[in-house]
Amino acid sequence: MTQADLYTLLPLIVLVIWACALLLVDLLIPRGRKGITAFLAALGLALTLGLTLAQVSAAGTAFQGMVVLDGFARFVNALLALTGLLGVGLAYGYVRRMGIERGEYYTLLLFSVAGMMLMAQAADLIVVFLALELLSIPLYILAAFARPKETSEEAGLKYFLLGAFATGFVVYGIALTFGATGTTSLSGIIAAASNGDAGLLLTIGAALILVGFGFKVAVVPFHMWTPDVYQGAPSAVTAFMAAGAKIAGFAALLRVFGLAFSSLSADLTAILWTLSALTMIVGNILAIAQTNIKRLLAYSSIAHAGYILMAFVPFGNAEVLPVSVAAGVFYLVAYTLTNFGAWAVVIALEKAEGRGLDLDDYAGLGRKYPALAAAMTVFMLSLTGVPPTLGLVGKFYLFRAVIAGGFYGLAVIGVLTSLISAYYYLRVVVIMYMREGEPERVSEPWLNLTWAASALAVVLISLVPAPLFAWASQAVFALF
Amino acid sequence: MTPLQLVFLLTAALTLVAAFRVVTTRNLVHAALWLVVTLFGVAVLFVLLNAPFLAVVQVVVYIGAIAVLFIFAIMLTRREMRDQGAQLNKGWWAAALVSLLTFGGLFWLTRSWDGFTRTAAPLPTGQDTLSALGKALVSPDAFVLPFEIASVLLLAALVGAVYVAYREK
Repeated sequence: MTQADLYTLLPLIVLVIWACALLLVDLLIPRGRKGITAFLAALGLALTLGLTLAQVSAAGTAFQGMVVLDGFARFVNALLALTGLLGVGLAYGYVRRMGIERGEYYTLLLFSVAGMMLMAQAADLIVVFLALELLSIPLYILAAFARPKETSEEAGLKYFLLGAFATGFVVYGIALTFGATGTTSLSGIIAAASNGDAGLLLTIGAALILVGFGFKVAVVPFHMWTPDVYQGAPSAVTAFMAAGAKIAGFAALLRVFGLAFSSLSADLTAILWTLSALTMIVGNILAIAQTNIKRLLAYSSIAHAGYILMAFVPFGNAEVLPVSVAAGVFYLVAYTLTNFGAWAVVIALEKAEGRGLDLDDYAGLGRKYPALAAAMTVFMLSLTGVPPTLGLVGKFYLFRAVIAGGFYGLAVIGVLTSLISAYYYLRVVVIMYMREGEPERVSEPWLNLTWAASALAVVLISLVPAPLFAWASQAVFALF
Repeated sequence: MTPLQLVFLLTAALTLVAAFRVVTTRNLVHAALWLVVTLFGVAVLFVLLNAPFLAVVQVVVYIGAIAVLFIFAIMLTRREMRDQGAQLNKGWWAAALVSLLTFGGLFWLTRSWDGFTRTAAPLPTGQDTLSALGKALVSPDAFVLPFEIASVLLLAALVGAVYVAYREK
């Protein structure tokens, strides 16, 4: 182990040590003042973010090729640290209000972010598997954090059982891949696959891994758990889970499929095409019938998994792949900002005992709280893909990449399902402005900052998206 | 028949009988105890295969930890030690059929494999596999990273388990 090895994983190591230390420090913080723990957790994440951004010069593999540091990992890690920060910001007031303020919340959140970051850096299937578990297990517990509330316990248990099931698929897939190629390292798999001595076993292994990740990022037909878990889990957890698990899952999918399994594109392109189309169609159509805002956003997150999956469809085409993956990464940024903003508004209006979560509770918001309603309008427009929002820019890049890859049908499905989604997103806007009502909102500094800053970012970045897209492209080109 | 073969046949028979009793006995504690016998039989098989380390792991982890955990869990959660329901449900014949087909398929496949008739390669002597394994787990040139991640993972799971199970006064 050299210094270079440690330097490659420096942000992650700092984060894990910080989380362990936080667990101990939390014992000294008296109950009722757990805001200090939240502040310390945020400090740790900010430090991680700073270290990640400072790793500019370093690149290469470490620990015998088990982890890798490149532009892509740096970009995704920065996004994940930001996700963690936003997650802490949303939780700060929410957990106190809901009576679930405990120091473990923040420790588990930090562990989960560590797992996600490891996922983005993993270059060996063993590490991919461990990272997947490290990100999932804290999320299972966070989903059940409001115990003994029944919906929260149900969410945690459901997520745990289906997540364990999905992990089984991943492990079996890894085992078959190992059987086919004799190695778990991604570069070794590439070498073995290009020799042509892998064959059917490798394809089955890759397909099983795809199923496992499909569960994690909620792709149809592996999405069944999503609405119940998103609805039952505390809203601040859902916001963090919806963004973080998706970013990490797609980052790993990209590395594993874009690199290691690129020789399998002939077999897998059609499967990815179908999964992406199905996810967009089913997610958007089921969202129409929802009357609960948390369920609506859950189906919306399923639909968006479909859009992001579009970026992977041209993965056999070496020319289009970098552009389409850059588009996918850009879309992840757009989705993260919009998602956190929308959930911040939901949290601002949520009351104890799960009230204030129906769409009807948003009636009259436009008149009583114009700024909050305007921010929610921005998020709904961004999720639909209407200018001037980041969602539109993200979708534009995605559709352009898919068309460049020659998948016109998928682009058409993407546009049509976006039109369908306009119905239920704009319904929220209509209810906010056109109906009479007396909503009550909660005003907390960090919460207000989250939705206001997200709304501003979603609009402003959409006006000048080129620098961010250039950064994403640069990150991805470093990968190929 | 060599004495080694005799020992093997006896152990294998005992293991199979015990495994069968695990699923057929109605008393849950008896089932757990039969499971201990089964696992112990497997440990003996490992010894016969010249894999003493695996045998020790089998005893320490499976019998020492997992089977004992089973017994504790049964005693703490069940008032009834006896299974009241039927041992078989309606689909038993389908399960039996699938098992039989799988067994037949595997049997047919392994018949064409020369691994059973081939003389085994002699075991390399003079190698300390145990210390090699131990070093590999914590060596920076081998698996220290997965090892440490697994430790963090277990810590996170432990914190979570305590949180979920803890009842506030």
